[in-house]
Amino acid sequence: MGLLRYYLRRFLIIVKSEVLVLPSRMVVCVFFLGLLLLPAVTQDPYLLRILILTNIFAILAASWDLLSGFTGQMNFGHALFFGVGAYTAAILNLHAHLPPWGSIPLGALAAVLAGLIIGIPCLRLKGTYLALTTLAFPIILLGIVFTIPGITGGELGVSGLARLSGSRLSDYYITVVLMLGACTLMWKITDSHTGIIFHAIREDELAVRASGINTTRYKLLAFCLSGFFAGFSGGLYAHFMRIAGPSTLEVSMSFTVVIWAVFGGIVTIYGPVGAVFILFPLLEFLRFWPEYRTLMFAVVILLILLYMPDGLFPWLRDKVETECPRCKIRNRATRKTCRVCAVPLD
Amino acid sequence: MGRAFLEIEDLSKDFGGLRAVNSARLTVNRHEMVGLIGPNGAGKTTLLRLITGILKPDEGFIRFKGKEIVGLKTWDIVNLGIAGTFQNMRPFRRLPIIANVMVSCLCPRAMKRGEWVKKIEAKAMDALEFAGISDMALEKAATLSQGDLKRLEVARAIATEPELLLLDEPFGGLSPAETELMAKSIQRLHQGGRFGRLHSEGPAMIIVEHKLQQLMKIVDRIIVLDFGTIIADGSPQEIVNLPEVIQAYLGQGGV
Repeated sequence: MGLLRYYLRRFLIIVKSEVLVLPSRMVVCVFFLGLLLLPAVTQDPYLLRILILTNIFAILAASWDLLSGFTGQMNFGHALFFGVGAYTAAILNLHAHLPPWGSIPLGALAAVLAGLIIGIPCLRLKGTYLALTTLAFPIILLGIVFTIPGITGGELGVSGLARLSGSRLSDYYITVVLMLGACTLMWKITDSHTGIIFHAIREDELAVRASGINTTRYKLLAFCLSGFFAGFSGGLYAHFMRIAGPSTLEVSMSFTVVIWAVFGGIVTIYGPVGAVFILFPLLEFLRFWPEYRTLMFAVVILLILLYMPDGLFPWLRDKVETECPRCKIRNRATRKTCRVCAVPLD
Repeated sequence: MGRAFLEIEDLSKDFGGLRAVNSARLTVNRHEMVGLIGPNGAGKTTLLRLITGILKPDEGFIRFKGKEIVGLKTWDIVNLGIAGTFQNMRPFRRLPIIANVMVSCLCPRAMKRGEWVKKIEAKAMDALEFAGISDMALEKAATLSQGDLKRLEVARAIATEPELLLLDEPFGGLSPAETELMAKSIQRLHQGGRFGRLHSEGPAMIIVEHKLQQLMKIVDRIIVLDFGTIIADGSPQEIVNLPEVIQAYLGQGGV
């Protein structure tokens, strides 16, 4: 009992000193708790379905940010990883009768392999050339999918897969926990020494090489990590929808991921995740005005990019928090002095 | 007599029709500090870039500690113990200054030699301390002045703990007082020793510089390049009196 009280007290101290000091951290915690507690308020199947897909796409958007935002390897064909993950999981489930907990990780590993396959020829390319080349890969795979309908189902895709779990509610919890876990893991990667090298490669690859770092290895690592998480989300999608079809490889899928990431704010991880939680349900909500749906969606995105060129969430964060000019620690915007070094904040 | 630390033989590099380096042949000994001078476009920076592997030579050999390094990747050359700075500084502008140096501290050579150092950050901080910009460690590199960017370049290079350091215009854009400080720092680094968690083996150095008065005070030997060809190699006192050097580079007034 004493030990329990000790850990409870430690937990409360951490909450008070690390979470309650910054609005952004409070929002993230409330968001996490909200997601976990939502089914206690409503179990509407339509709402849960929207949120399950949002969770899956949030992993996909964050994985794009890991590769293109942090490492600067502009990938306009991210649907490749998603599609490879989805198709591999589907084929393994249908033909090898692997359950979802086996087929989804193997789908993610297949996407890692795809990351290696496209990463190696793309190593020498930069900027526009890299973007256009990566754009081509999912289109090539789509061609292959149509060529071997016996395995891939052709235009109809691979359908009749095993459910993710027994009920919509458990599907929801599985995707919430996996989304939170995957995004936290990606954030930890970007916050590590490897993340610093990813950042540096984006800034100036030649200077990184001149610092003794094997940039080839790190760029391939970025492709593989991003591929893993995107493939994982592809596998989840296939098992939730119970189908892996050509739509997972379409160009529109690749561009939607880029729109999510740019809307939320690249080089943040949390930005693309937050963007999916706004834009994906928004698109569903706009179904009530089908003729204006795409137009309104485009207007929202253009307005955000016009007034918040760094993305919505970095803009919001700068509104509620300020950086100490001396120790660079972030503080609540209402504070007069830094919470660490007590320097006056302007 | 032992084998030279760095040997360059018949090294040539063409850019289209322009021969930037023409059959260069030079040696640098382990504890030497060599100045490399020449008019603009003489091929000094190209020669340094050939040594660091950023450019590939068309002909010739470069041997470092007896090992042929032509054809090796830039990072492999750095991990053998050759580090260089860029003439036009290339910081990671959106990263904090300390993160700029941490990238160098994360290279395999620095990691292996600093195994006992628990925190990479601490080692990077010592490199910044040595370069004299540790007070700005948390600022973004984009906020640094020209002089401080030069210091950052030096900090990044020494963080790899090199045995041969190639400095491309380390005094460029610095005020006289800053130049004096930088010259002292370079001499101190050349002497070797421990700077906090950072170890300096007292690297041999090749310094490209236009500020000849400061350069001549610190180097043992000067090599003069003109149109890609080495036209003189000797002590600073010998070099300033050579008529061909005066003609090609210093002008009739000398220094």
